[in-house]
Amino acid sequence: MHPKKHFKCYAVVGNPNSGKTTLFNALTGLRQKVGNYPGVTVEKKSGQFIGQHGEKIELLDLPGSYSLNSHAPDECVTRDVLLGLRSDTPRPDRILCVMDASHLERNLYFITQVLELGLPTIIALNMIDLAQSQGIVIDVQKLSQELDVPVIACQANHQETVLPLKLALSRAEINRSSWAQKLPSPWMRAIDGVAAVWAHAEEKTSQRDPLLRMKSLLLLASPDAEIESLSKEMRAGSALGIALAQRSMLDRELPLWREVLVSARYDRITELCQAAQGRSSVASDAMTHHLDEVLTHPLWGWFGFLGIMGLMFLSIFVIAAYPMSWIEATFGFLGNLVREMIPQGDLRNLISDGIIAGIGGVVTFLPQILVLFFFIGLLEDTGYMARAAFLMDRVMSKVGLHGKSFIPLLSSYACAIPGIMATRTIENAKDRLVTILVAPLMSCSARLPVYALMIAALFPKGTASIWIQGAIMMGLYLFGTFTALGFAWLFKKTILQGETPVFLMELPPYRCPAFKHVFLQMIQRAEMFLKRAGTVILGISVLLWFLASFPKKPSSDARNGNTPSQNTIASATSDKAAQLEYSYAGHFGHFIEPVIAPLGFDWKIGIGLVAAQAAREVFISTLAIIYHVENDEEHPDSLSTTLIQEKRPNGTLVYTPLTCLSILVFFVLSMQCISTLAVVRRETNSLRWPLFQFCYMTGAAYLASLLIYQGGRLLGLM
Amino acid sequence: MSASTTLTPLSEAEAGPILSVVRLDGNEKVCRRLREVGFCEKAEIRLLSRGGQMICHVCGTRLALSRKLAKKIWVQPFSSSLSTSSKKQ
Repeated sequence: MHPKKHFKCYAVVGNPNSGKTTLFNALTGLRQKVGNYPGVTVEKKSGQFIGQHGEKIELLDLPGSYSLNSHAPDECVTRDVLLGLRSDTPRPDRILCVMDASHLERNLYFITQVLELGLPTIIALNMIDLAQSQGIVIDVQKLSQELDVPVIACQANHQETVLPLKLALSRAEINRSSWAQKLPSPWMRAIDGVAAVWAHAEEKTSQRDPLLRMKSLLLLASPDAEIESLSKEMRAGSALGIALAQRSMLDRELPLWREVLVSARYDRITELCQAAQGRSSVASDAMTHHLDEVLTHPLWGWFGFLGIMGLMFLSIFVIAAYPMSWIEATFGFLGNLVREMIPQGDLRNLISDGIIAGIGGVVTFLPQILVLFFFIGLLEDTGYMARAAFLMDRVMSKVGLHGKSFIPLLSSYACAIPGIMATRTIENAKDRLVTILVAPLMSCSARLPVYALMIAALFPKGTASIWIQGAIMMGLYLFGTFTALGFAWLFKKTILQGETPVFLMELPPYRCPAFKHVFLQMIQRAEMFLKRAGTVILGISVLLWFLASFPKKPSSDARNGNTPSQNTIASATSDKAAQLEYSYAGHFGHFIEPVIAPLGFDWKIGIGLVAAQAAREVFISTLAIIYHVENDEEHPDSLSTTLIQEKRPNGTLVYTPLTCLSILVFFVLSMQCISTLAVVRRETNSLRWPLFQFCYMTGAAYLASLLIYQGGRLLGLM
Repeated sequence: MSASTTLTPLSEAEAGPILSVVRLDGNEKVCRRLREVGFCEKAEIRLLSRGGQMICHVCGTRLALSRKLAKKIWVQPFSSSLSTSSKKQ
């Protein structure tokens, strides 16, 4: 089993939108570890802080939940950790409940369930300032008395108000709440009956054990279709039989037993709220109300939505352009430095052409990814994301999906991996699978470099305004999006048939975003991206450099090495091209050329496509290596300039507008990302789905590009 | 003035006044879900806006739900729930 830890470990739980993650960030700062729960792609976040006496205190941020009766995979993780059912995560010894002070009634439903688990618990009454500004006065002491645990008011976005909470978390002893839900006697008898059998089977546990009683209650309350799987998960053993018997007893003696279970809790909560905050005039959030009148309006809402999306995509190109040119310049400078410091030879070429050019070409796009994640974080933090899902439900329900599926799809604009991870909030397994299958069709930021390069090749300097370029970019994104919706519709109609799910979600109040939280998320994403650049992409860059440089074409190499001349740039370039053709990569490119020639691609693009199979952005670095473009300070657009001058053996241009378009369409549709396939494999727990995803996407890409190129040629386009 | 005349599905209810949930249709999974978010029997709710989807004020929060789901929730005006059933408490 798990080694006994010498420091306190708290599980942080609460409703979604209760400010749980903001509080977690305020407590732990950057001392966080982001991982995954094995088997499910639910993010596992833990962090540490130093307590009052200098001791380490560990916090585990559990996914937000509305109830221990879980509906979605992320809620199941929370339930399983709290019940000690996950073998990879020890049951926490203490609990920190985060409660939104302005929504006591809603939050207490889950929190009273958690209190019944009988663990030492502290409640953080978050956003107390917001509640006060809305005229909600809470008697914190009374609340603490009623719930029988410490309740500490705080504002997660103000560091100084978090201090009392830190002190409370450092306490050596925290009491266990004596809160217990009173239920009609048939219910209590049913729980007693199940707990007695269960306790007997587990031997060491008493039947009064609060954890065991909660498990018994959850088992009894589970829907008919789920009781067996839940019993297996909770290792109920022989308790399942008695639970089924007790349920038929309940059916007879208390026909409304399911209804009573929920309403009894709400009745207690209503009493509690009356005691702790007085039934003040139902204070409502006027700002949220007014904003929602516009932002969820059937007509104005869409204007707002399109405006926000437009602003987001424009920022990605306009704001990110500056840091991108700085990064490019830095890598150009580094490349030159290497060329000056290291003598001519393979080592120099490896470092400057392989490593620096390869990584530089990819890292350049970091600013765009950061801007995208900034916007996504902002939309989530302000509460707008739920409205976007609300609006999009009308579109999504047309293809048989839930409005919530929109959020993973939107995240997939940044990267399909967090997008696929965000599908964990979708309750229905089939809908989740459909969303996972189509998510990579949303143009991710790795495609962005390819789009940018090809659009630059489409419009050599000055022939098109930034607006036209932006419009084409927007068009590509829309193309990907509509294709995704189309395939979702198709899948829901064929292989994953099911009813359109019911739409039910909370619209959290609008809030000022916590920039600290948004930036933290950006940093974590940037880290993931750079790690990938440092490993997969570095490896591929080096491999490609090797494949493109060996075997050496003997004559040209000797001549080039012995008489380095500055006047023979033209001959050097043709030498390089000849060398490439002679290399392994050249052979392979020629090998696949017959397959891709109908799409308008030549063997050099073929090498790029093969390399991009690992990760799309590698296409750029591959082209940079193939065409021996040096990242030069004076020629930041050097790659696109080289591309538009590139000719086929017969003298015609390679990168005609039609070819560029064909490449663009291919990249919109095809599945070229090993990491995504790996995540899909883990999420679906099968090889079949990632394989299917790869085939349908790549097949669609091939057909669409074929149609564009051959159709264009028939129409007489070049 | 029988209660049945005032009983309407939430999807047909009027936005504005306080409503009282009377009954839920649908399978137990959907019902449990609705109850747990606050649409349990006798709960007081308010319809804020109608359209393709509806927005409700439930338990102090705003909940969005589809018209299809709203059809499963039977409500009556809060005032008539006071007169038809004996007063709560």
